[in-house]
Amino acid sequence: MKRFLSLVLVLALVAAMGIFSTALAADDGFVDGKFTETRHIKVEIFNRNNDGGSDPTNNPFTEYIKQGMLEKYNVEVEYVSVGRWTEVDDINNLLATGEAPDICVTYSYPTIQTFADMGGVIDLNPYLTEYKDQLGDLWGLLEDYNIYYDQNPETKTVWALEAVLADRARLNTFIRKDWLDKLGLAMPTTEEEFYNCLVAFRDNAETLLGADAAKMVPYSTSTDIGWRNDLLSISKVPEDVDDATLYVYGYDDRHLLYPNYKEGIRVLNKWYNEGLVWKDFGLYTDSTAEDDMMKAGYVGAFMHNWDYPFRNNDDSIEANLIRNVGPDAAFVAVDCFKNEAGITRKYLADRIDRKVFFPATNKEPLASLLYVNFISNPDTIKFLQTGKEGVNHEITADGAYKTLPATGEWVMNSGMNIDYTITVNGLNIGEATEASRALNYSSVPAEIVIGAHEAAIANGRTAKHYNVGDITAETDVGTSLTAKRDALLTQAVSASVDQFDAVYDAGMADYLASGGQAIIDERAEKLLAVYNEAPAAK
Amino acid sequence: MSWGTYMRRYGTLYLLLILPIAFFVIFRYTPMSYILLAFKKNNILVPPWQVPWAKNNGFEWFIKAFQDQNFLAALRNTIFLNLLDLLIGTPMPILMALLLNELAFPKYKRVTQTILYLPHFLSWVIISSISLRLFATNDGMINKLMGTSIPFLGTEGNWRAMYIVLGIWKECGWNTIIYLAALTGISPELYEAAEVDGASRLRKIWHITLPGIRSTIIVLLIMNLGHILGSEFDRPFTLSNPLVVGASKTISIFVYERGIQGSQFSLSTAVGLFQSVVCVIFLLLSNSLAKRFGERGIW
Repeated sequence: MKRFLSLVLVLALVAAMGIFSTALAADDGFVDGKFTETRHIKVEIFNRNNDGGSDPTNNPFTEYIKQGMLEKYNVEVEYVSVGRWTEVDDINNLLATGEAPDICVTYSYPTIQTFADMGGVIDLNPYLTEYKDQLGDLWGLLEDYNIYYDQNPETKTVWALEAVLADRARLNTFIRKDWLDKLGLAMPTTEEEFYNCLVAFRDNAETLLGADAAKMVPYSTSTDIGWRNDLLSISKVPEDVDDATLYVYGYDDRHLLYPNYKEGIRVLNKWYNEGLVWKDFGLYTDSTAEDDMMKAGYVGAFMHNWDYPFRNNDDSIEANLIRNVGPDAAFVAVDCFKNEAGITRKYLADRIDRKVFFPATNKEPLASLLYVNFISNPDTIKFLQTGKEGVNHEITADGAYKTLPATGEWVMNSGMNIDYTITVNGLNIGEATEASRALNYSSVPAEIVIGAHEAAIANGRTAKHYNVGDITAETDVGTSLTAKRDALLTQAVSASVDQFDAVYDAGMADYLASGGQAIIDERAEKLLAVYNEAPAAK
Repeated sequence: MSWGTYMRRYGTLYLLLILPIAFFVIFRYTPMSYILLAFKKNNILVPPWQVPWAKNNGFEWFIKAFQDQNFLAALRNTIFLNLLDLLIGTPMPILMALLLNELAFPKYKRVTQTILYLPHFLSWVIISSISLRLFATNDGMINKLMGTSIPFLGTEGNWRAMYIVLGIWKECGWNTIIYLAALTGISPELYEAAEVDGASRLRKIWHITLPGIRSTIIVLLIMNLGHILGSEFDRPFTLSNPLVVGASKTISIFVYERGIQGSQFSLSTAVGLFQSVVCVIFLLLSNSLAKRFGERGIW
């Protein structure tokens, strides 16, 4: 028996060494931080199919990366484009057919988890440990927090690296400043004042819009109510809510399950029934119709991404407003939704963004990690985010980067080339960042942008990150729960006031029964097991 | 006839069959081996035949689907919308074919026919955006013209009606083609004889035209019954909006959400397989029913 056991042990050792040596063999010929033989990796890149954009797999920016990787590490880079708006579907297909790029990027962690469960994703932990010395730039940018953000506390596996969210501003409330002036109203500082502004817009439609009075929309929103009404909904969450509650009820990135969330939706429902909200918002599933109304000057106020009306330079909502309405027309940010403690509390996003992972078909984990390292290098980020001097930007007297409208191949397909800087989202160019951000929007004065950014992060709170390992209930249900949430909120807002509770509660019951409750329960259970904490709210 | 002479005479025909059969075997039946996914836990790295059977003798996913209220809702919606389509959508092209058949001027008839076919070539994506501009509750053209705000697309009941109406609008003209072809097969002598007997137009339609296309109607009905559980994707998906998901989530959308978006390939394969099996059963049943009533059926 003893002999048999020792034989088994020896065999196991040999087998383990075999696996180990083949793993290392792939990285043979790596001398002084550079491969002796040229390696080849494929990298996923989003394709946004922008009008007048360039080929996302081949332009001056990819050329910069390709050359840099070849010179620095002797690694050849090839880009594989994936539709930005169908990324999860596309990645699923590529993974399923075994044709996934060596470096994949997605916003959806459950997708990665699903494939990891099948053995389709490389565990980065051993590579990170072994090659830490080679990955200085990666560590410098991501730090342990983002690198080990998704590490399983038991198995220690790391399926994905979390990119850094450099700018954590989420959204703002915008209101037509010129309308307020015209009606002699002050900038609203409370929910009630904001409501009064909307009523004034509605009642003075003829003064404000003349012949187009019938097109007046005091407050516009979309079927993504969770996002587009966040500041109002969140203002109903108690100020003293504890971290454990925010975690257990924090699955939905729109805060749907936060305590007292329903009351914010109730307010919107009331506004809707008073004719203050765009009546047909529930029918439109894309944003063009609403954007057009904002650009034409029919919309009085809305909530959206903190810089939404400033985006797209000459085609921005602000630029269109000035063209269509006049030089005074402008949306400005107001920060007026206070919670019971009188604070305009905002729940900011955690320091994480997209997720970078290597599928099991990746035969070049070291070369791929070096790519991620290269893309995290401050010089690389600066070049990709600001482009070429004189073409994409000019440097002002105080050292800030002012964006110029580039043309031809130098056009960035995504704002600040976010699609290439896969480890960071948001301007991240050191000391010049704050001043440069405001100069990023060529159609809007810097002080308006600065004001909007300040409003968006004022009184921000970030929910604590608890790393309790995989929540199995969260796998597979993501898209169907998102659809449920949007349907429930859209239906509740459009219901009559006396039907509101019935519609909201039925929708919420359906949401919980379709997987929401299972997630809450599992989160609570694991939180208790790993951290010995329990949420105060129920 | 001996085997040898038979093969000498018809051998080339069998030779010609090889290509189409190869096509079906390679592109239709071989991929079907992945139906096994419905009984196993999907794994992208291992072919399905190497994966062990799922729980409950392999029926785990079927059980899961039937315990899932979302699947049951999708099943109900699919059957309901298809039944409405069958009841309201089937007679329409017949009616239209009869009307077209009565048109006297050949040129006028041809132009009318062409115009009727055109909507068939529009995709559902286009139709859904047109319908949104036309039928939106407040901003829609129809409501603006009438000065009303009827939620054509905003309540479940209205949405179902619009779903059926738009379906008829798109396909009715196109579906007349087969009936019109069948109508040309009716002997003109019958009409002449009826005229001699003094039959009116309606009488002729009732006693000659309709019986003349009866078998065509029944074949098409059988084929439609075969689709009772089948579901289009584009039509409900593009026409839907968050206000009416309770009526518009069909099996195809369920499969899309769970399978393609949520990577639950086993569950969606199981649902797809269930759908196909029920369709085949319906097809066989309706076919044998048709035969019992003295019709030819489809095979």
